[in-house]
Amino acid sequence: MALNARTMPDEELFYGHKACPGCGASLAVRAALKVLGPNAVAALPAGCMSAVGFNFPQLAFGNNAMITPFASTAAVLSGIEAGLRSQGIKPDGCTVVGFAGDGGTADIGLQALSGAIDRNDDILYICYDNEAYMNTGIQKSGLTPYGASTTTTPAGPAHPGSFTQKKQLFQIVAAHGIPYAATASVGYMADFLKKLERARDMSGTRFIHVMAPCPVGWGFPSADTVDVAKEIVDTGLWFLAEYEGPGVCGKPGGKFRLTRNPKSFAPIEPYLRRQKRYSADADTDLELIEAARDAQWEHMREAWV
Amino acid sequence: MLEFIWHARGGQGAFTAARCLGAAAALSAGQHALAFPTFGPERRGAPMRAFAKISSAPIGDRSASSSAQFVLFLDQTLFSDGFQEELAEGGIALVNAKEPSGFADARVLTLDADGISSAILGRPFPNTAFLGAIPALTEAVSIQDIEHGIRATMPPKLADKNVEVAKAAYEAMQANGLSDQPSRRCSHRSHANTADPDGIHDPLVSALRPDDGWTPHLREAFSARPADFASSTAFEAGYLTTPNAGWRSLRPVIDPDACTLCMSCYLYCPDGTIVKERDAAGDVVSLAVDLAFCKGCGVCAKVCPADCIQMVPEGGDAA
Repeated sequence: MALNARTMPDEELFYGHKACPGCGASLAVRAALKVLGPNAVAALPAGCMSAVGFNFPQLAFGNNAMITPFASTAAVLSGIEAGLRSQGIKPDGCTVVGFAGDGGTADIGLQALSGAIDRNDDILYICYDNEAYMNTGIQKSGLTPYGASTTTTPAGPAHPGSFTQKKQLFQIVAAHGIPYAATASVGYMADFLKKLERARDMSGTRFIHVMAPCPVGWGFPSADTVDVAKEIVDTGLWFLAEYEGPGVCGKPGGKFRLTRNPKSFAPIEPYLRRQKRYSADADTDLELIEAARDAQWEHMREAWV
Repeated sequence: MLEFIWHARGGQGAFTAARCLGAAAALSAGQHALAFPTFGPERRGAPMRAFAKISSAPIGDRSASSSAQFVLFLDQTLFSDGFQEELAEGGIALVNAKEPSGFADARVLTLDADGISSAILGRPFPNTAFLGAIPALTEAVSIQDIEHGIRATMPPKLADKNVEVAKAAYEAMQANGLSDQPSRRCSHRSHANTADPDGIHDPLVSALRPDDGWTPHLREAFSARPADFASSTAFEAGYLTTPNAGWRSLRPVIDPDACTLCMSCYLYCPDGTIVKERDAAGDVVSLAVDLAFCKGCGVCAKVCPADCIQMVPEGGDAA
């Protein structure tokens, strides 16, 4: 049954947390736990969601949940899963799920994630992507997009912000031949919920990369989070896709699929200009951003449709 | 040495104020000063502390103050009886509160810092109001020193307004000073909550144990669970002790007549504070907001296709 606002359970499993008002990442965690249910066991590395979720004695997780060392989210997930199984106490409908940020996934936790996928451990890894190390105060991560100002890539007279494009994390994960990987955005909740359900009902390693805007780090009003999360998809600066590994789809190398392939994109300028982190970007930077987007979509449309 | 412990929520500017106070003492009053915050999991809205120390001699002790002559609460919801442990002999606790009622301890003074700053800045920023109140309570710094401190640490445009706030608070504090504070017993629990005039969700009810029905849609599901599995792990999950009160300057008000029950707000609330209200048959009849945990982000109002959620100022009468 497809879950939606009407059919999802009333229980709030991530409640009373200390995230900033309008936090996209907390919305991602809340939605994911709604789908996975109270028997899910969560692990979170250093990052916003562990910092705001475990403020003893204020424990915002309704699930069993624990904090992991920064680099080892996926390794801890492997251990939790094996431990529950070997003790014979893994209940039905228990998803062992990790929530790590973009830095904790694409930079610091990448090795552990790669190892878990290699072993095909029965875990779900969710990367909430707010495009910088927000927990420590907005430092550039491997998933910070070109032109975004952070405290370690500050806008200045010579350059508006980050020099690099986002790492292609989804493709890196897919290249392992993982059973299931997907991208999502908290602005397209129906799509995200569907992918969560799919991931929940599969076994082996699963990965979801969900875009989760950060009002504080990106510089927009807290009320706009969902709107921005929609717009980043509508502009083509983020994509919604799925990957099925060879073991699932039967095709050597696996299969990519765009779950949203718009005929045309919304203009990027209003999207970029509404965020302070892009405020120093010149028109030439916007052209670079647009060109990179077009090149990526040309490839995706050719190879993934 | 004079010490100040600032209790506030991230974003209220407690560290900025502590630094201003230090600047006032060091740059204008000819004293030595230190100011520093604690680094915890603070977010916008999360409880944090900052410290300021002022002395006529160089200050060697750079550690956090365990007790102080001034314990300042920029957010009333952070105030608890625990203040007594932090208060040095003869010290004063100053609480940001609209009404002085509810505090029976002669050592506890109140200042309507939100009201004073809102009147001048248009939004409640209690930090510089507290700065202004300090010279009314100690001779270590004067209001002129405070002005100097503000101007030394803030850009000119901001400084003008904040000096105005500090001066207004100084005058209010003098008019409402030590001797005028009636003696009252500290009665946190009976304090009327402006966010919730009906008292349905009185956020000052303490110890929200999972089984006390406080957020029943959250709690009931878990009471039977430790026996099910993993009893060795931390079952105190979902243990909420305090509401996230005091985060909001705006709160959502749902117009039940215009609401189509599409539940977009429910789906997209980052805090899960939109609650489905059901009738006896279990059908959803209306949506409500759990104001004890709503942070007033405004996402619900923005995503509502029927445009039936208004964000109204806290403490206003628009609702």
